[in-house]
Amino acid sequence: MAISKTEIEKLAKLARLSFSDEELERFTAEFDEIIAFADTINQSIEGGTDQIRSVGARMVSFDDLRPDEVMPSLPSEKILSNVEGYNGFFSLERSKK
Amino acid sequence: MNYEIVCGIETHIELATRTKIFCGCTTEFGGEPNTHCCPVCTGQPGSLPILNQKVVEYAIRAGLALNCKINTRSHMDRKNYVYPDLPKAYQISQYDEPLCENGYIELDSGKRIGITRIHIEEDAGKLIHENGYTYIDYNRSGVPLIEIVSEPDISSAEEAREYAEKLQLIMRYIGISDCKMQEGSMRCDVNLSLRKPGDPNFGVRTEIKNINSLSFIQKAVMAEAERQADILDAGGTIVQQTMRYDEATNSVAPMRDKENSDDYRYFPDPDILRFCIDEDKIEEIRASLPELPFDKLRRYVNDLGLPEATARQISRYRKVAEFFEGTLAGGASVKNAANLIVGTIFSHMNTEEEKELFAVRISADQFAELVRLLDEKKINYGVAQGTLQKMLESGKSVDEFIKPEDLAGISDEELESLCREAFDANPKAVADVRNGKDKAINVMFGFIMKKTGGKADIRKAEALLRKMIGHD
Ligand SMILES: [Zn+2]
Repeated sequence: MAISKTEIEKLAKLARLSFSDEELERFTAEFDEIIAFADTINQSIEGGTDQIRSVGARMVSFDDLRPDEVMPSLPSEKILSNVEGYNGFFSLERSKK
Repeated sequence: MNYEIVCGIETHIELATRTKIFCGCTTEFGGEPNTHCCPVCTGQPGSLPILNQKVVEYAIRAGLALNCKINTRSHMDRKNYVYPDLPKAYQISQYDEPLCENGYIELDSGKRIGITRIHIEEDAGKLIHENGYTYIDYNRSGVPLIEIVSEPDISSAEEAREYAEKLQLIMRYIGISDCKMQEGSMRCDVNLSLRKPGDPNFGVRTEIKNINSLSFIQKAVMAEAERQADILDAGGTIVQQTMRYDEATNSVAPMRDKENSDDYRYFPDPDILRFCIDEDKIEEIRASLPELPFDKLRRYVNDLGLPEATARQISRYRKVAEFFEGTLAGGASVKNAANLIVGTIFSHMNTEEEKELFAVRISADQFAELVRLLDEKKINYGVAQGTLQKMLESGKSVDEFIKPEDLAGISDEELESLCREAFDANPKAVADVRNGKDKAINVMFGFIMKKTGGKADIRKAEALLRKMIGHD
């Protein structure tokens, strides 16, 4: 097992999600499969994924970083087009604890 | 029971870049909500953050000014937590490869407070809680910050304040932030624990979040140290928790939100390439740093002979120091220039902010002209002060105000006969000047000033005298 039910429970708590016991079981199995699949990447690289960062990764030099020049932002209607807005704000109804 | 305070400070400073850390949106303050936003800073799927060069440069400036080692390779990490001020559910920050490490700030006592690290990260959005709703403005989301983490070397409330104050001064001097605590461009979190003197182990610590003034830092450290001491004295134990300082009651109380989210699951952000900085670049940035306030202070006292209090007032503000140094470059004397700045110019500036901005209407050269008249005793201190007031109000040069009525008040004929009198009465001085002891002419100036009660136009008198001496 790459991941345990306890870890899934902890992640759910951090993400402020709640699951039933059956859901937890199902997620644990699914996460396990997904992580096992991702782990196969490790086998295809000598030294594992850590190597990607330390040796193989491309690096940018200071000169290639983005110049500090202002670009137009999006109109706020566009920014808010997929959410419920209120007076230009994003708005969330607070959950009662 | 007596305890020793063990305190470290984490400081967030907003960098004065034009654009946000990962997108081209403006960092300008204010604006209608969510108008300084784009797909990157609102965390839309598929958007790609690109690191702002100026952020890296400013962080390196900070690191160099705080005596840090600059890492030539660095990368960004994701710090995961779920809270609506971060639209991505993670903050892009730095974890195990911060830009700068191992520096220090020296306090007046000579004690050094270690700087553990400085890293760059993005600021979060602003939340307004109202009527059961949370309203979110992401204009500040993605504004660049540096976080400066000190070692737990601070051992009193006064040291805590001095550390933060020095940090603020240095950051302003190197021009990377205005560090306005009230407006949130500098915010401090204080970690504090107590231990018995000599105990090598640390006690359980608490963290006081988001303190927004220098004096509150001092008060919060005192209040929290007292609170912990009371608990320990009563045989209790300190609970590791996040606290908030309440200025109204001058007390520290536990904070409720974000409590169990301490597991940030940092990992390298796969969207942002690791970056490297050449040693040459670092040296270039080092060379561009101004002389720092404490170095200036030392120089003003040791080399220029200014009294420490005056030197401190001038070196504290970069623009004032530059004005002062410009005045000296214009030939003015140290003492008169410094006294007129602190005594007269500062009397027009009531707030720290005004001194920081130092928006005077005259140039250092114009000021130097005035100070030189005083140095050469052509005017007295009172006249200099009055004239300076008028110059500051009008932005006009000294010749607009120092007229014959200030300098002379006597006619040309009178001046000529006075000069003749001075010439006749001081044959030795005349001879000395003729023999190359030019300073001897001051004897005749003194004679004329005494006769006229300081009213004579000494420049005119000098011309006349030199003609008589045959040394013009
Ligand atoms: Zn943006």
